[in-house]
Amino acid sequence: MNPAYGPNPWQQTSWDARAACNFVFGGVGAGLIVFAVLFGAGGLALKGLVLAGLALVGLGLFCVWTEIGRPLRALHVFINPRSSWMTREALSATLLFPAGLAAAAAVPGFAWVAAGLALAFVYCQGRMLQAAKGIPAWREPLVVPLIVVTAVAEGGGVFFVAAPLGGGGTPPLDALLGAMLLLRVLLWFAYRRRLAGTVAPPARVALDAAGRLLQLAGTLAPLVLIALVASGAASGAAAAALMAIAGLAAALGGAYVKYALVTRAGFNQGFMLARLPVRGSR
Amino acid sequence: MASTDTRRVPTYCYQCVAGPDLLTVKVVDGVATEVEPNFCAAGVHPGGGKVCVKAFGLVQKTYNPNRVLTPMKRSNPAKGRDEDPRFVPITWDEAFDLIAEHLHRARADGLTDESGYPRVAASFGGGGTPQSYMGTFPAFLSAWGPVDMGFGSGQGVKCYHSEHLYGELWHRAFTVSPDTPLCDYLISFGANVEASGGVVGIWRHAEARVRGMKRVQVEPHLSVTGACSAQWVPIRPKTDAAFLFALLHVLLHDIPRERLDLAFLRRHTASPYLVGASGYFLRDRGTRKPLVWDAAAGVAVPFDTPGIAEELEGRFEVESIEIGPDQDVCGEGRRVGETAFAKLLAHTAAYSPQWAETICDVPAAMIRRIAVEFIEHAQVGATIEIDGTRLPYRPVAISLGKTVNNGWGGYECCWARTMLAALVGGLEVPGGTLGTTVRLNRPLSERLKSVQPGPDGFMAYPMNPTDKARWSPRPNIRNAYKAMVPLAGDGPWSQALGPTQFSWMFLDDTPPGLPRVTAPDVWFVYRTNPAISFWDTAALGQKMARFPFVVAFAYTRDETNHFADVLLPDATDLESLQLIRIGGSKYVEQFWNHQGFALRQPAVVTRGDARDFTDIATELARRTGLLAKYNASINKGAAGVPLKGAHGDFSLDPAGAHTREEIWDAVCRAASAELTEGAEVHGLDWWKEHGLATKPFPRTDWYLFPTLAARGLRFELPYQERLKRVGAELGRRLHEHEMRWWDRQLEEYQALPAWKDFAAPWEAAVTTAGGAPQNYPFWLLTARSMQYAWGGNVGMQLIKEVADNVAGHRGVIMNAKAAGELGISDGDRVEIATPARSVRGRAVLRQGIRPDTLLLIGQFDHWATPFARDFGVPSLNTLATMSLDLTDATGSGADIVRVRIAKTGEQAA
Amino acid sequence: MTRWAMVADLRRCVGCQTCTAACRHANATPPGVQWRRVLDMEFGEYPDVHRAFVPVGCQHCDDPPCMDVCPTTATKKRSDGIVTIDYDLCIGCAYCAVACPYQARYKTQKALFAYGEPIASEAKRHDDARLAVATKCTFCVDRVDAGIEKGLQPGVDPEATPACVNSCLANALTFGDRDDPHSNVFRLLAENQHFRMHEELGTGPGFYYVWDKAAG
Repeated sequence: MNPAYGPNPWQQTSWDARAACNFVFGGVGAGLIVFAVLFGAGGLALKGLVLAGLALVGLGLFCVWTEIGRPLRALHVFINPRSSWMTREALSATLLFPAGLAAAAAVPGFAWVAAGLALAFVYCQGRMLQAAKGIPAWREPLVVPLIVVTAVAEGGGVFFVAAPLGGGGTPPLDALLGAMLLLRVLLWFAYRRRLAGTVAPPARVALDAAGRLLQLAGTLAPLVLIALVASGAASGAAAAALMAIAGLAAALGGAYVKYALVTRAGFNQGFMLARLPVRGSR
Repeated sequence: MASTDTRRVPTYCYQCVAGPDLLTVKVVDGVATEVEPNFCAAGVHPGGGKVCVKAFGLVQKTYNPNRVLTPMKRSNPAKGRDEDPRFVPITWDEAFDLIAEHLHRARADGLTDESGYPRVAASFGGGGTPQSYMGTFPAFLSAWGPVDMGFGSGQGVKCYHSEHLYGELWHRAFTVSPDTPLCDYLISFGANVEASGGVVGIWRHAEARVRGMKRVQVEPHLSVTGACSAQWVPIRPKTDAAFLFALLHVLLHDIPRERLDLAFLRRHTASPYLVGASGYFLRDRGTRKPLVWDAAAGVAVPFDTPGIAEELEGRFEVESIEIGPDQDVCGEGRRVGETAFAKLLAHTAAYSPQWAETICDVPAAMIRRIAVEFIEHAQVGATIEIDGTRLPYRPVAISLGKTVNNGWGGYECCWARTMLAALVGGLEVPGGTLGTTVRLNRPLSERLKSVQPGPDGFMAYPMNPTDKARWSPRPNIRNAYKAMVPLAGDGPWSQALGPTQFSWMFLDDTPPGLPRVTAPDVWFVYRTNPAISFWDTAALGQKMARFPFVVAFAYTRDETNHFADVLLPDATDLESLQLIRIGGSKYVEQFWNHQGFALRQPAVVTRGDARDFTDIATELARRTGLLAKYNASINKGAAGVPLKGAHGDFSLDPAGAHTREEIWDAVCRAASAELTEGAEVHGLDWWKEHGLATKPFPRTDWYLFPTLAARGLRFELPYQERLKRVGAELGRRLHEHEMRWWDRQLEEYQALPAWKDFAAPWEAAVTTAGGAPQNYPFWLLTARSMQYAWGGNVGMQLIKEVADNVAGHRGVIMNAKAAGELGISDGDRVEIATPARSVRGRAVLRQGIRPDTLLLIGQFDHWATPFARDFGVPSLNTLATMSLDLTDATGSGADIVRVRIAKTGEQAA
Repeated sequence: MTRWAMVADLRRCVGCQTCTAACRHANATPPGVQWRRVLDMEFGEYPDVHRAFVPVGCQHCDDPPCMDVCPTTATKKRSDGIVTIDYDLCIGCAYCAVACPYQARYKTQKALFAYGEPIASEAKRHDDARLAVATKCTFCVDRVDAGIEKGLQPGVDPEATPACVNSCLANALTFGDRDDPHSNVFRLLAENQHFRMHEELGTGPGFYYVWDKAAG
């Protein structure tokens, strides 16, 4: 007898694009702050990048605020730090904003505090997804490092998009982005393999579509571009432009994965019967 | 929170034939809010006092904004589906004036028209359930005189028609049920008890399953009943008779004879009766009683000779007379006769499981195994004590569902089923196959009393006459049941049990010999929507459009009252007043250990100008000058209880117009007096508070066998000599009047029914309609939806919502693999078509259906009923045709159509 | 210690949805919001097909994922096992809805009525507090509590018993104290084989599915 019986799972409808945007913008914003601090940017560049990162995080939170049923009660979100990763996400965001502003104001030491809180923020986002036990593609533990790494990678991507404005990146940062992209895609493969038999077929289709985009546009293309720049095939403005394109592709590839994870691969597991009922004598 | 006035009002729901369910309505500040079971009834109700899902629609039914709340008059004289009736509100006075004017004219012109048909007709919904809502309207109809109640809305073709007629003949079984509380093994041929057996059916079968009863469900699709069965056998549609014949074959030819209940067959059936060369019983020349061979004395004696040992098998030459139709003597003197049982053996010899395998598409080994399980569970010889009486105990039964027990093949299935029960002595005994109610034999409320001695040692049966002196080609109503269907009898239910499609079919084309079928001058319609629930619904609508004056008691606008001239809003279920009988032994599984009465009472104030049916009936009687007759009819019992009886006289003054409270107060008093044999007389107020009252109903009364045995009567099985004679006589009468259009139906009158290709007429219908059979490869079937069946509740949002949780309520169920071969995916828009018509809907792909079968649950395709007209779910009724070719000898058809299916160009949702 | 639990006997259930309708009545939920509903499930391939009807709803878990994720503590678990929602705390973030492996939670953003405008029965019972927040089966906690106060026994006395159980035509639903050896639920579980939905997730549902009598 088949050990598991169930009708088809269906895509969750509780969280729509607005919730997805919190993961997309929150991740990229936080990642940008992390990358900016790692870049060691100072002055206007740091200020601009951190403020942009905060704005993106804020935009994400705004999106999700428009989705909640009782927006005027939004402050209730802070009530349950004891067990809710949503509360913890809100708390980390609440701390991130003053820390980020302080960093932008060049208060010493706050850049690293902001970067740390940004990482904490995306970590909370990852744990939020993992705690959603109803969704097999979310509750997989590897979703946590995936969310964190993809945030940093996308932040790095946006960093390079913005880099021409602020004076461009440096070879170690190119390498860091490349490494993050590699790590991200490796995590993706691991995550995807772990999901193999547990998610609904349509969720698999959605994940694989997003995965292909991640691999080609989000990873391979930027890596080629980074390699081009690293090999010296391009330099100066051309190199910056290539890195900006690489960054954009890296960011979009990752962002789409998260968007798809929430809005397309968020299938529940349906219902399963461990045994079929015995109707009368056999 | 503001203080609230909360009451719980006891009442009943009788929206379907499997009722009544006893419930309470929670009323908060005068607003009905919740339905709950009447927990006080749990002790007397055989279904734990529970209430069917349909009853939960009653709150929405009351407050539905689409209700008709004032009388309305049609202002557009043109009638048609595409014509807006332009109903305009009128007062009740105006409405009554209008109706009375037409009724007066009809009376002045003579109660019957030039064809001899009643000028007034009335149609009510399925299974007699509207009678539990129409108050004293039956008294008005009775006061009026002849009324044609034969314009069907599905009666006769969508019921268990063959079972109703043959069931009553053989064992007073208008409806047949296993004795579920004791049954251990049940073969169910498409009987969808979990959808149509109501609360009691569901409750009892659930108990039986947990107890270990094995139910084998034989049907083309896996219904909810199939789902809840131990085994599903996906049989090819309309081949059930072959399966049943094969079961008979195994019992009669493949297992040792002594495993059958030979004593039962000898003593309690006509198995030992001798049958002569012409196919009629050999009779004693003096007494004209059928002869049996007494093995002890070695002589032929009349069947009722005391102390004999009837021989079951053999051929004997005996001094006798053989009498055929019209008392013709087929032969007299020394004649060779064969026992009916021997005839049965010969008759079934060819019907082996191997033979049935290819017909039914069911492996022979499976059929054989089921037959063996049946006999193994039968416990032939066992007894059980019921209420201090020792009775045979045979915990095996067979039930038949719609489309199996009606239309061509219905007779054969019913006969084989009853024979299988008889072979193991399992007919009308504990654990076995029971009849649970009578509708053609009287008295209707006391089944056992209907057992009266008839000819040849069998029960009497009120067959319509077929002898030359009494048969008439001028029937009393348009569907001609009296002329065409002897088995339909001539009681109050017979009109609806005739070929009710004939009233519609013959409007255009009355066959030779019958008076031209006319439209009634006045047609009353209540709780029925034939423009949806019958067949060929488009044509039916066109015919209704030709009726000159239609009075529809209207809940909302619908497809039938679209053609009405007057709409009358009657107070609905939670607003009106009526006392009904409950318990005893009624439809299907409704056999109780109690009997009594229950009150339906206004839980809330009547909305708008809606009026209680009793008040409407009284006013109609007053305006037509029939008050005295109307009151007399109520006094006689038209409201369910005779007002004057052994325990008191509560009669109404015949002269006055009484309020509904006065009338039902009198009925309540008479009912309580009857119930308590005069000890207690309670008026309406008491009943309003208590809701119901009962007394015990003896369980031994569930079983007919003891009564038959006590009266020395035999079951009229296996050999149908009487039917053979009646058929022959009917044929002669018809031919004497040049009526040859019923010849095919006459062939059904066989003493031992033979297998025929019962599906063939439906396949032939494709050719008749101009199609090529190979282009219509699917069988389209239908099945009852528990949530909707009989309820007239398609306008209830709650019902739609919960019904949609059950597969198939959103479209046509189709086998997933068969759909794949046609490129159809789940949810795709599809077209289902016959050569003549087509419908569209969505595909619902399932594994639990034969690849050659499609299933449309319920009856939808509404185009006028608010809310329901937006469902977009097609109906078999739109596709099914009415024709003589598809009508069997009882006047019945079946819900089956040969169709094709294809994806439409439209996108899946 | 009392642990309220529900048992659905899958041998009995016929999928009639009477419990669904009764729940809609008792709890005045809006159209489409079925705190109790019955799934119509099919298994296997033609002709070897089985179909089962499975009542579902909030499983009142021992370790409810919905409670852990709730950022507002609106979702709580009582000591008797009933999982509740405080509508005044809930912000309607629907995190609980995605955390619930049983798809038991609903959020209705706007007032919904059967026929557009509220009919009298809906107007009487409409409650704005339940809009835009999470709602779900409460095991009819108000009936249970009020019944106990009156000395009634939940699961035995209808007045103290969840509406779905009261309404069940097949006697498939039983409510009672899982930990009381004299309760109907305890007895049913002892005498029959049963499982819980998605047992592997470790949520510890207070909702049991009976599928056969005890082996041997």
